[in-house]
Amino acid sequence: MTNGATRQRARTFLAHINTHEQKPHAPQNPLHKELGCAGKCLQLSDFELIKTLGTGRSGTFARVWLVRLAHPQEDDRDKVFALKVLRKVEVIKLKQVDHVNSERSVLEDVAGHPFITTLITSFSDHDSLYMLLEYCPGGEVFSYLRKAKRFDEPTAKFYAAEIVLILEFLHEQEGIAYRDLKPENLLLDAEGHIKLVDFGFAKRLGTRKPSKPKKEVGTCIDRNQGETYTLCGTPEYLAPEVIQSKGHTTAVDWWALGILIYEFLTGYPPFWNSNPMEIYKQIVNKPVTFPSEPHISDEAKDIILQLCTVDRTFRLGNMKGGAQRVKDHPFFRGVNWDDVYNRKSKGPILPQLKHHADTSCFEYYPPEKEGREQYSSELQKKWDSYFADF
Amino acid sequence: MAMAGNTFPGRAGSNPNPFGGPLGGGNERASSGVINRVVEEDENDTITSPTTPSFGFAKGNNSTFGAPFGNDGAGEGPPSSFRPGVGAEGFPAQYSMGRRTSVSAESLNPTASSNDNWTVPFHEKSQEQIARLKKAISGNFLFSHLDDEQSAQVLGALVEKKYPAKLKIISQGDEGDYFYVVEKGSFDVHVNPNGSLQSGTEGLGNKVATIEPGGSFGELALMYNAPRAATVISVDSESTLWLLDRVTFRRILMESTFQRRRLYESFLEEVPLLSTLDPYERSKIADALEAQKFPPGTTIIKEGDAGDAFYLLESGEAEAFKSGVDNPVKFYKKGDYFGELALLNDAPRAASIVSKTEVKVATLRKDGFQRLLGPVESIMRRTKYEQGVEEIDPLQK
Repeated sequence: MTNGATRQRARTFLAHINTHEQKPHAPQNPLHKELGCAGKCLQLSDFELIKTLGTGRSGTFARVWLVRLAHPQEDDRDKVFALKVLRKVEVIKLKQVDHVNSERSVLEDVAGHPFITTLITSFSDHDSLYMLLEYCPGGEVFSYLRKAKRFDEPTAKFYAAEIVLILEFLHEQEGIAYRDLKPENLLLDAEGHIKLVDFGFAKRLGTRKPSKPKKEVGTCIDRNQGETYTLCGTPEYLAPEVIQSKGHTTAVDWWALGILIYEFLTGYPPFWNSNPMEIYKQIVNKPVTFPSEPHISDEAKDIILQLCTVDRTFRLGNMKGGAQRVKDHPFFRGVNWDDVYNRKSKGPILPQLKHHADTSCFEYYPPEKEGREQYSSELQKKWDSYFADF
Repeated sequence: MAMAGNTFPGRAGSNPNPFGGPLGGGNERASSGVINRVVEEDENDTITSPTTPSFGFAKGNNSTFGAPFGNDGAGEGPPSSFRPGVGAEGFPAQYSMGRRTSVSAESLNPTASSNDNWTVPFHEKSQEQIARLKKAISGNFLFSHLDDEQSAQVLGALVEKKYPAKLKIISQGDEGDYFYVVEKGSFDVHVNPNGSLQSGTEGLGNKVATIEPGGSFGELALMYNAPRAATVISVDSESTLWLLDRVTFRRILMESTFQRRRLYESFLEEVPLLSTLDPYERSKIADALEAQKFPPGTTIIKEGDAGDAFYLLESGEAEAFKSGVDNPVKFYKKGDYFGELALLNDAPRAASIVSKTEVKVATLRKDGFQRLLGPVESIMRRTKYEQGVEEIDPLQK
């Protein structure tokens, strides 16, 4: 294929995506789903990098950029996206090959959910893997929480409700455990709604059939003949069974939701220490306790305690009834769940944005270091087949 | 950007006490308990922190919560349209407000589902050595929840290594792969306040502790790869350590957890009462089953008692006895189950089950089952339950 023809396809592809963007939150017909597919026709030079928005899990192998089209058509001049760039060398070195593949494929499956960041397409070149995502201009809930010190209950309830819908969808429709819930992974869109990002640790449990027909997975050989087990997450948010290697079900996300609501309301998580081993000891051995200040309602305390229950047969969300039981908890009294899903009301925090590509809600990230390790042809020979899905 | 140059965001800067939490421990070698904490201090955020957060704290700065919020660079912090309605009262002074780094260990594939020929490494030890090692790790919560098999595998996998004097065993800031138990000699612990080992005589930082035989260090490395929080140096010539690496440790845990789950799930498939469970529900139950061990001759279920739990026989043999009948009425071996009618009703147990050998059972109580999946009756109603319950279990009259 000539270069010109490729370009033309790239433009057509993006133009097509743009029609989705008109109504970004309309549920897609899963059978005619376009979002999230690997778009072999794109390349980095199709985009202009504007500013770093984040540097991913370990600070070295991923960097998210605000980008716009390098050669936009008239209609696309204002379009901006978030481009997540993963360097193959670092992905390999940090043993994250499985995680990035799983992230891409999970994001493809869940693209279009109102509270999950939408993967538009993915592509790759010699050095890097790319995921083109919708841009969430509001920045991290984490930043607002630290700035506000803590949220009042209506604010916490608003976000918690949207997260319950995310978990219900991931667990009960997709059979996916997210495994890294925390304020740092929650972004706000322009209307103040939650967008869950970073699916690097999301895990398909394989115990529930996918609700939609699986698309062809490209030329990649299926290496996941069996389940893999990984201890992962964020220390303060790890469920006790993860610390003790006793289980790996969706129940870990309900535990983390309890920790999250606690942190929303008090400003800090229930188990913390400068020494991670001390945190783990507490998580396994200590009950959640509440400070005398601020006042936390009985409903909030109760839902936190029910979610943060060590015995998984007692953990809310994991019991019979699943997410519905969480929705029925008095903490969410008065919530109209259809309205939540349909984004009827705007969020309690509205990002102050001067224009659609405003990045003032994101922190500053220093530029990438020079002189990074090269993706040698030797590495390429050994590893490139593992990245064939991009 | 006020904190742009700070490479130690997060918790690293917020706790001036290198010993972390309360010392406690109550074991006779108080020093070793302390040392674990020193060594592991801050390991997961010294180097891998993903960002230079605008909320970062200067290293060693005992600042209060509010301070860093005053110097957000203009335009860099989050917008200020949101007016917090709450004050800063009640915040723990030492809690660091930085972004938290995700952590991850290696992905492991159970040997049963891969082509891997991994077997647990085994290094011969004397009874005396095993007893010493057992004692050394007994206070550590990473080991205290292991079952007998896992413990035996971990003890077998520890490998002995001798060191000359003045050798750096681990270096602050380096990646951590191994956990160490001291067999012989003492080991000095140094912490450089800058967060990593520097060159030169001062580069080690202050000596904060000494670890003696029976003590241990580096336990965080058993969970995931995190930078070491201290440098540890051998003091004596002919020092000896026992080593355990993370992948071996995690494999031991993963393999046994995986095998047990597979076992439980296949056992559950055999229970007619539960034949309509889908794989998702089965895995939920398998997840909730608890292992119990009984010596030979134990009455696990007593005739006439109210039934409140069901059992899967994981290993060993057991027999069912009925009053007035001399010989056992049924024999149970690995993979058999009993007491499952307790899930269905509160009828008294119709027979006693007695262990013939040492047995290991997996058990779940009725209330736990119902919390997870609801009443068994509704599960049975999904399809016609054809076999009469009387034929399933001698426990039913």
